[in-house]
Amino acid sequence: MQSLRSLAGKNKTWALALAGLLAVLALAAALLARAQGGCVARVYQDGVCIRTVDLSRVREPFRFTVTDAHGHENTVEVEPGRIRVVQANCPDQTCVRTGWIGTGVRPIVCLPARLTIRLEAGAPDVDAVAR
Amino acid sequence: MERTVHAPARRAAALCLCLLLLAGCAGPGAAQSRPAETELFAMDTYMHLRAWGPEAEAALAELSAMLQRLDGQLSVTDPGSEIWAVNHADGAPTALSGDAFTLLSRTLDFCAGTRGALDVTLYPVSRAWGFTTGDYRVPDPEELARLLPLVDCSAVTLDADARTVTLPPGAELDLGAAAKGYAGALAAELLARRGVRAAMLDLGSSTICLTGRKPDGSDWRIAVQDPEDPAAYAGVIACGPGSICTSGGYERYFIAEDGAVCWHILDPSTGRPAKAGLLSVTVLCPDALTGDLLSTALFVMGPERAADWWRAHGGFECILIDENRNILVTEGAADRFTPMGAYTHAELTVIGREE
Repeated sequence: MQSLRSLAGKNKTWALALAGLLAVLALAAALLARAQGGCVARVYQDGVCIRTVDLSRVREPFRFTVTDAHGHENTVEVEPGRIRVVQANCPDQTCVRTGWIGTGVRPIVCLPARLTIRLEAGAPDVDAVAR
Repeated sequence: MERTVHAPARRAAALCLCLLLLAGCAGPGAAQSRPAETELFAMDTYMHLRAWGPEAEAALAELSAMLQRLDGQLSVTDPGSEIWAVNHADGAPTALSGDAFTLLSRTLDFCAGTRGALDVTLYPVSRAWGFTTGDYRVPDPEELARLLPLVDCSAVTLDADARTVTLPPGAELDLGAAAKGYAGALAAELLARRGVRAAMLDLGSSTICLTGRKPDGSDWRIAVQDPEDPAAYAGVIACGPGSICTSGGYERYFIAEDGAVCWHILDPSTGRPAKAGLLSVTVLCPDALTGDLLSTALFVMGPERAADWWRAHGGFECILIDENRNILVTEGAADRFTPMGAYTHAELTVIGREE
């Protein structure tokens, strides 16, 4: 009986250890999911990433302007969780009209300036947007 | 005593289970979620290509080169393109490459069948509106009256043996409604040849080509943009392999001095923006070229003629959004389309085989 009781005690230790391990795993998974879900915006000029903004870490709104050798100017505005082109000197203004993006797979594109802003979200809601 | 025998086995089993769970978590991420990706600017748009599997990287490199090549051949604004040469031949026959000839001949056949809803010789008119250059303006009625007689796809002569095309003097081609579709059709062949089993080619959002299903075996989820809110979706389509082509007035437009919205899809019979009652047309079709041509043609036709066309020809499904924010969907796509956002409670009319 003595050996049985000590075994039961050992089992309890195991169970505790296992529970601890599971808790750590759950926490890691949650952190990982948050890291993936936390939205990162990447600004590309002619296919080259020139700036990365972690939208989930933005506290104060800010702006920056992207220029190129052909005189194109796109002013980008960033707020907590979202990003847009607020002003541009392109003729079509498609990039400005696109408005804010903060979720989803739809990029902001300025064809004349060859500028794109894409989000890297953990689990996008759709695979593409037809328009 | 039974417990002492089985406890270690149970512990081992529990550990194995944990390991399996961990492996299960890591599995899809490692094997499936990381596609090869390429983005490029071609055909006057931004393209985003994704493919999965061991052949994906090489296939996308080949695909990018092909898209750039086609752009160089088919562009209406590039002085080095074949179409530019045709448009500036002043009535003389012009030799075409195999790709340009095939595309033009298929497009002309399609245009002839639409009874004027789509015309590949519309370029003199769309240029007058500034849609290819960005210098937007409303042409005056006299100018349109002068240009409209040049719009006549039946006047284009193809010589299959010599592989040449001849236009009447002054006429000009624009393959804008077809080039991305043709590129998508060629891309599907290339991916199949390369053994790529899952790929999503976003050729500028108006033409999306899907190879296979998603790596996890599920359907692709393609959103249809809300025509009145670029940040919102009107719905989501669950799709297998094939193409999704969309035409809408909201992508390229300008506001005239009188406040009228002038969009880039023109009615070849009037030379003015096509206003037949639709805001957007999305076509699901196995062949991307047919889908691309159809989305523009159905937009010009309007809801009733579009439904008649579907009943008469079939071979595709479509989702139409009309001016009153109603959604019309052909019966083959009704189960695959879920309205969203402002359209969650929209009236959804299923277009059936019988009128």
